[in-house]
Amino acid sequence: MSTKELRQKAKTLAKEHEYQQYMIERYLALWGEEDTLRFLEACEQPIRTSIRMNTLRMESEKTVERLQKKRIELEKIPWLSNGYYADFEGHSTPGAFLEHMLGFYYVQGVPSMTTVEVLDPQPDETILDLAAAPGGKTTHIAQQMHNSGIVVAVEMDRRRISSLESNILRCGVTNAIVLRGDAKKVERLNLEPDRILLDAPCSGEGLIPLDPTRKTSKSMADVRFCATKEDELLDAAVTVLAPGGTIVYATCSIAPEENEYIVDEILKRHPDMKIVPIPLDFGTPGYSEPFGVSLDESLKLSKRFLPHLHGTEGFFICKMIKEGKA
Amino acid sequence: MKPELLDPIEWETIIEAIDKEFGIGVTKKLLGKLTPMALVHGNWRNIYLIPTSWMDMLFEEAPSGFDYHLVGKQLGVMTQDRFRLSLQILPDLVKLTTKVLIVSKQGAESFTYGRSILKQSVLYMDFNLKRGQRVLVMDEDHFCLGIAALSMDASRLGRLGKDKLVGKNLVDIGWFIRRLG
Repeated sequence: MSTKELRQKAKTLAKEHEYQQYMIERYLALWGEEDTLRFLEACEQPIRTSIRMNTLRMESEKTVERLQKKRIELEKIPWLSNGYYADFEGHSTPGAFLEHMLGFYYVQGVPSMTTVEVLDPQPDETILDLAAAPGGKTTHIAQQMHNSGIVVAVEMDRRRISSLESNILRCGVTNAIVLRGDAKKVERLNLEPDRILLDAPCSGEGLIPLDPTRKTSKSMADVRFCATKEDELLDAAVTVLAPGGTIVYATCSIAPEENEYIVDEILKRHPDMKIVPIPLDFGTPGYSEPFGVSLDESLKLSKRFLPHLHGTEGFFICKMIKEGKA
Repeated sequence: MKPELLDPIEWETIIEAIDKEFGIGVTKKLLGKLTPMALVHGNWRNIYLIPTSWMDMLFEEAPSGFDYHLVGKQLGVMTQDRFRLSLQILPDLVKLTTKVLIVSKQGAESFTYGRSILKQSVLYMDFNLKRGQRVLVMDEDHFCLGIAALSMDASRLGRLGKDKLVGKNLVDIGWFIRRLG
């Protein structure tokens, strides 16, 4: 497709599906027409509700049993140890159940749960969770660590800290320290974490199935602005990571500018950082040549969730290690 | 919020407040091998229990540009001269006290919506409990839903009409949802 044809096609599709034209142009360039149409269609479909059983409060099997008695249909998510699709249709919201108030489960998207499984936190480690609110991943990390070691959760937004605290209390997390502050300044904490999770604030382009206003609410300038912030955050994070440590970088954006491009720059700036394979069976490989731009080949080891391929919100997950001995 | 060690007098006040309501020695058991500390915000002193190994890290000023908001296990909040237990500590407390009130399924639901407890919802309560006593409110499966203050002596329960108030809701786990909207 020539540039002119692509623009014309994008204009037509953007009008038809009520997107900004620049977005469709990029989808066509990334995926071609057929997959773009599938993507646009998938974004109109609801995302299945998913929950994580919180074993800090209750054994997974018992929560499953209690919910099934209340006629909630549950389906185990194959690659997640405590993740389930949950059909709450005909009930009030998933948050109104007694089991939720008791902290037996957390309503959480499949990609978010997957991010923590990829991080693979271990008991007694020191873990840094950057941009941590509302706390789904912080509480999941604590769960994987059996409440041992320390999870340092950093969040800038004062209002979002309330939800972070509330979820930590509800889920019975006792190994967390919550700090309000700018994650770009983490070197001031004098920590050398074994693992870092950075689910970076992003343009949210992957969330269109959950938030249709995203079709028109952000410009390309917003994507670039987010990319600058993400680069600064990831740079700060890899700088403090302990030698031999692991970092997982994730966003709920599908834009390569916020994902593969960011990681590629980090690999150039920090030669001791390496992308490592993700030993879980989900998603599709990240891109090493998005829009014809050659990036580090190892970016194919990162993973993407896409609405039209996986029935989830769009998400990017990349696991890296810092060479050296712990 | 600024981290502070508790002075012995403040800690004694907290021990007294908890033990008086839930039984002698309960606070010591809640503490276990942890250390009490406070995050101070104006007149509010949020009391947390932390592993001693965290002390060195916390008792320096928060790093420039950062502010502590939560550390370890939340025991409760001290406001002026009153101590209020945190919802987070209740599952631990349940194992250590007999000051409980068990309510029916309907009563449990109503309580988690912030309502108080009526006679018709009460399934079990110790006969010796007196008016004003704080009790842990539990559902039929013995999960703790919050704290109530008895509005009458338990010995009078049999003489009450079914729509009469038994326990005033002080705090309940529905707060987690109401707080976030």
